[in-house]
Amino acid sequence: MVASVVVVGGGIAGVSTVAALRAGGFDDELTLVDAGQFPYDRPPLSKGYLAGSAEIKDIALQPPQWYDDQRVRLVAESTVAALNADLGAVELGDGTTLCADRVVLAMGGRACRPPIPGSDDSRVHVLRSAEDADRLRTALVPGARLLIVGAGLIGAEAASTAAGLGCEVTLADPVSPPLLPAFGAEVADWLHGLHEKNGVTTVHAAAEKFSHTAVGILATFVGQAEAQGFDAVLLAVGMAPEVELAAAAGLWVDRGIVVDSGQVTSNPAVLAVGDAARGCQGGSLLRRSEHWEAAQQDGQRAAATILGCTPPTDSAPWFWTDRYDVHVEVVGALDNADQFARRGSMGEPPFSVFALHGMRVVGAVSVGDPTAVRAARRLIDRGVAVEPEQLSDSTTDLRKLVRGRSTEGMR
Amino acid sequence: MSEGIRVATLDDIPEGEGIAVDRAVTGTDDDIALLRDDDGCVWALNNTCTHAEASLAEGWVEDGYVECPLHSSKFCLKNGAVQGLPATRDAVAHRVEVRDGEVYLFPHQDP
Repeated sequence: MVASVVVVGGGIAGVSTVAALRAGGFDDELTLVDAGQFPYDRPPLSKGYLAGSAEIKDIALQPPQWYDDQRVRLVAESTVAALNADLGAVELGDGTTLCADRVVLAMGGRACRPPIPGSDDSRVHVLRSAEDADRLRTALVPGARLLIVGAGLIGAEAASTAAGLGCEVTLADPVSPPLLPAFGAEVADWLHGLHEKNGVTTVHAAAEKFSHTAVGILATFVGQAEAQGFDAVLLAVGMAPEVELAAAAGLWVDRGIVVDSGQVTSNPAVLAVGDAARGCQGGSLLRRSEHWEAAQQDGQRAAATILGCTPPTDSAPWFWTDRYDVHVEVVGALDNADQFARRGSMGEPPFSVFALHGMRVVGAVSVGDPTAVRAARRLIDRGVAVEPEQLSDSTTDLRKLVRGRSTEGMR
Repeated sequence: MSEGIRVATLDDIPEGEGIAVDRAVTGTDDDIALLRDDDGCVWALNNTCTHAEASLAEGWVEDGYVECPLHSSKFCLKNGAVQGLPATRDAVAHRVEVRDGEVYLFPHQDP
């Protein structure tokens, strides 16, 4: 019987693990170790929090009294220095040892710092933690020249926020359009085009080198002779999973802490959840998801494993992103379809695109059209067949379509 | 107030959907979402999600819950209880009655 659990890392994965343990009836000792003052939500770090419209207390994952109410011992502003998997113990940075029957690793990752010469400077930022966002925000004064390297979700959201703060933003990415596998070609193109429409300069090249001068940072791009001057740089080129602790403890690590379908690592007393965990099913290593809801579900699965109860039903993966006042959601996958059904006019929100395999929906992207993605999710999860023409017909009521087809499927 | 405020006819709210009733009509701090479950029952919650600026009346109503259209937190239709992050606070629930196909709202009375 499991009588004590230590969860290391207070992001959405760690907090969800703790919450699901208590919700599932775990009544014993529960400890959450977090590096911050208290666990906070990361999606706002490139949006409202970076803009200054939300403070740290506004993005707390749980209200302060929640930890007492749930009898969770929150060990804040602490890091873990070592994991002794066999003893079920973690050693904190200050030397304290916490023992537990199960340790759940939920430490996420760190922002990548690619080996671009000249990156090692306080004006060259990354964005992963609230402290990173605080530092970056001080540079985002009106008129500041900001270079963002990488036009993925974080880079694009930060570009939108910085432009909104009055910065002169340049966004560089060698891939055209960025995020094509995530959004599908049409929507990826349109979304990337929003940058220029909102006054952001896009550069279709990788950054090669930064030189530091008294008046700013001179950036050189691959294939471009002339260097450009900036006041600050944000490197937004992805994350590296936090695996050192696990690797040092002898766990199986392969560009992520390898876990089974119940989030259990190669050591049965240690589980891993969230951005650092990498699933392995049927002997094949899966891609890490790196999305908010996936991390939440990891936590719920880990809790189910510890409690010995049935894990929550799997659902198609989902994420959202916001830029230039446009809310975008994606469910399932758009890179593996044999046809697409467009609903609404491309580029005029609300609109959405459904990806299909024959008559099965496999993914969808919506821009300002949340009902489409929620309908698509249910069509995917329930495996119901639809005609693509019905999806693209704007007179089709998607809620009715889902309800009708789900009922037929049950007959 | 014992009769409630007539705010809609039942036919105004398709099953599985919601409509928002303006605060000018309800006299409440927030607009109120009338949410009709797929079993036909109507429930009322404060319309603004407790997490971010989103209208629950535009959410997905199914199986006793409404799913927020922005970040997908779910709330219980009957009592507003939040089911999961990112929202952490319950939605305020109000009493609703359907009489002769008309929907009556009793703001701030427990359902």
